[in-house]
Amino acid sequence: MRYFVLGLLPFMAIFLQSTFFSTYSINDALPDLVLIFVVFFAFLNGERKGAGYGFLCGLFEDLYLGRFIGVSALSKALTGYIIGRLQVRFFNENLLVGLMIVFMGTILNSLFMFILGWSVFSVFNLDTSIISGAIYQSIYNVILAVPIYIWYYNSTQKGVLSLTGER
Amino acid sequence: MKKYLKNKYFWVVLILFIGTLILINNTSSERTNISLLEKLIRDAYTPLQSGVVEFKDRFGSFNAYFSSKQLLQQELDSLKEQNQELTMENQLLREDKMEVRRLRSLLGFQDISLQKYEMVAARVIARSPNNWYRNIVIDKGSDSGIEKDMAVISPVGLVGRVASVSRDSAHIDLITHREIAVGAIVQENRETQGIVEGLGNSNLLRMVNIPYYSTIKPGNNIITSGLSESYPKGIDIGIVKEVELQPDGILLSALVEPAVSFDKLEEVLVVIHYYPEALSPEVNDVE
Repeated sequence: MRYFVLGLLPFMAIFLQSTFFSTYSINDALPDLVLIFVVFFAFLNGERKGAGYGFLCGLFEDLYLGRFIGVSALSKALTGYIIGRLQVRFFNENLLVGLMIVFMGTILNSLFMFILGWSVFSVFNLDTSIISGAIYQSIYNVILAVPIYIWYYNSTQKGVLSLTGER
Repeated sequence: MKKYLKNKYFWVVLILFIGTLILINNTSSERTNISLLEKLIRDAYTPLQSGVVEFKDRFGSFNAYFSSKQLLQQELDSLKEQNQELTMENQLLREDKMEVRRLRSLLGFQDISLQKYEMVAARVIARSPNNWYRNIVIDKGSDSGIEKDMAVISPVGLVGRVASVSRDSAHIDLITHREIAVGAIVQENRETQGIVEGLGNSNLLRMVNIPYYSTIKPGNNIITSGLSESYPKGIDIGIVKEVELQPDGILLSALVEPAVSFDKLEEVLVVIHYYPEALSPEVNDVE
């Protein structure tokens, strides 16, 4: 059940992003629900699992988009790895810590996306809209992360995402 | 260093990393066809995304339904659809009218060409889920005859080009996309030709390769020239906002505001076929 839910989360995240949230952008920035789930998973499960989950979620997103397949996979894997390294340094039951890592994760992911897309493959234009886009997306993600983190943390303790529910 | 080389995870990560870079490189250019896995993923989303649009439509007509005005609502929907078609037709007729008027002044010019379109109407069911690539998804795919690179228009103007197709859906790159270039002319003077390109990071377009002696000015209407293979002639692209001299001093470039408001697009038309047709005898009689 745990694995099914972990697989369903990025699927539903892309569905919501492409239908509902795509019409409610903040200053042209859309939220990244897939990243929020990757960040929470990495923060609660450590760097190796975080990097692996980030890679798979990013790859799924790339396959849906159909261009530059692997850019999101690598950037989310790297983000998952770094956020996973923070697991031992912070108390994960604190909501504020959860929101802080979402903000940090969004900035890191944007940075990796930019480095991969621009430096390696010249995909993106370098201008201030990328920086402001990353900041607005971080704020959007933090707002959405409030209810998601409460649900996610409780689920990992005694719900569908808890290790005892693993099959 | 030796510690790393002996670690099997190091080799797994390294191979995965290099493999992913190769994958990015191979999918960074335009592909003729998307893979089966991509098609399966997209087709899994299509019914869900169509369901959301259906729900919105039903919710929108909720009050009309319960106040026994269902028939009125259906009629309204049909009239809206008809209105869209007529707006589109009107746009084409305006262009044809200008062409005929111009050709009338050229005595002896007989071979007038008009274009005929075959189009498929489709609903916009989803938009790009991230900030990096902006596109839209429509609810018609290869089953409806849609193929890659077909032009996508709306009653207001040019929308973009089919980027990839699955059985029941198609991803459309908007004309604001960096990789799209459309042959264009200024509708008012017909002399100025150029190429309209997407800027990628904004909702504006740039028309380049305009000769320095051109009379192009803000407010001019930019339409497709018909020189690009994918796009029929005479479709509105946008309005000129600014004109500036390029650094080389020989050419001008213009900032163009698209005619279409991409955020509000609900329905589009995919041009399945378009072909020039000899002017019918009736029109020759008018001459």
